[in-house]
Amino acid sequence: MSVAAGGGGVSAVDPKKILALGVIGGIIGIYATPFNPILGPLLAALGAVCGIIWGADAIARVASYGLGTGVPSIGYMSLAIAIIGVLAGLAGGVMIGPAYVLLAPLMGIVLAVILGGIVALVGKKIVGMKIPVLVTGTMELAGAASIAVLGFSAAIAGSLAMPAILKSVVSTGFIALLFIMCTMAIQHPFNACLGPQENRVRTLKLAASTGFISMTIVGLLAMGFNNSWWVITIIGAIAWFISIRAFLEASKEEAASMEWGGMWPKEEEH
Amino acid sequence: MDPLIMIGAVTAAGILIGGGVHFIPVGGAPAAIATATGVGTGTAMLAAGSGMTGLITAAAMTGSPLWLILAAGAVGAALMMAVTMLVGNWVYVWGVGIVPASAKVNTDPITGYNQDKYVTPGTEGHGIPTVCYVSGVIGGLLGGIGGGLAYWAVYESLVTLPAYAPLVAGQTSIVAAMVAGIFALGLFFINAVVASYNIGGTIEGFHDPKFKRIPKGALACLVVSLVTGLIGVLLLEGGVF
Repeated sequence: MSVAAGGGGVSAVDPKKILALGVIGGIIGIYATPFNPILGPLLAALGAVCGIIWGADAIARVASYGLGTGVPSIGYMSLAIAIIGVLAGLAGGVMIGPAYVLLAPLMGIVLAVILGGIVALVGKKIVGMKIPVLVTGTMELAGAASIAVLGFSAAIAGSLAMPAILKSVVSTGFIALLFIMCTMAIQHPFNACLGPQENRVRTLKLAASTGFISMTIVGLLAMGFNNSWWVITIIGAIAWFISIRAFLEASKEEAASMEWGGMWPKEEEH
Repeated sequence: MDPLIMIGAVTAAGILIGGGVHFIPVGGAPAAIATATGVGTGTAMLAAGSGMTGLITAAAMTGSPLWLILAAGAVGAALMMAVTMLVGNWVYVWGVGIVPASAKVNTDPITGYNQDKYVTPGTEGHGIPTVCYVSGVIGGLLGGIGGGLAYWAVYESLVTLPAYAPLVAGQTSIVAAMVAGIFALGLFFINAVVASYNIGGTIEGFHDPKFKRIPKGALACLVVSLVTGLIGVLLLEGGVF
């Protein structure tokens, strides 16, 4: 079903660099949340955008083999895994003791990665899928998705503690919005750019723009919960404008030609 | 509630959801251009539609006996599937102009009507014939029961904890309902996608030869949901802060 079947291929971007950007940028951003009431949530949202870019690269590597179910399905699955992992990690962190606020987010990411690995192993061993990078790819995707969910949740709540996230993200229902929004942000870039002429740099430019527009929306959601909502919204909107312009220019450069066909004629010609 | 019962309920729910997906006529991209039988979209979208509707109807029954929650979830999900297939068929019949026909069987097992005469050469069937429709409704019922069961198990486990206690005694706890809802939704998506990996993208319903793969799909969903249930127990630990 997927047009991109064939897989492998040399990516224009080193996957290790994107992985490092996602893991390091994401975790620094998330852990910076409690330190400053204005900059903290902003850094958390930027961390989530790093996670989305990493996720978009990971999904491109897995789905280029042709899953048979379309690109969005693995995106939805990774976000489902991430949300279960993150909520369980944040809640279960209480067992560690007083230090739980510090360790719980990391526990959430690790739980999501483990669950992702198990689902992929089941897919490979029981269902018999033949994608060589399925296990590592799904683990990366689950990690990226959990960083995106955690970062955006921390940006809305202004805190990493479970009670604050429960109050401002879960009971308001924003968690369901984050679910679908992060899925779209992660799966859309490759779903839109796939094909034989896919250029990973261009795909990642689109990933940056989907990430930043999600960040803008998260800024608006945070309106009632912290004072830095306008910082997140404005910076997200500016960054979205820059990245979508870069993507449109890249598309224009790589297209064979672009012509304006004009509007359709007023009367149908028979 | 005992955490072991919750794990058991989540596992059973996962198998019901994964099994239900095997019944749903998922046509994928070929069906979107009416060259294959089924609804013209992927499993993830059908799961999102019917799963969320089922969860909303199940959650509306929060606090009622278990059978009522399960019935509400089943009816909600099945209704959404039925409406999706019905409107899809209108588009296929009056928009595209094709006769609903299955390419996998010569006669419809339910109505006994001829199928092969009506299949356009070069296609894998088109539209949603009666057998696919009935199969899809069964799939929606199973999936809805699964989603409702997972929601009920997590909600009933959470609501006894101090952090999730309802604001007014005897009423629904919104926090617990949201956590249980999002957990059940996550379980729905994971199992739907694992089951669709097992199907390999497209299936017509219980009369399709691919339906014989259901034991493997149920086993895969069992393992995945068991692990999800084990992780879900951690949610209960957070209720004591």
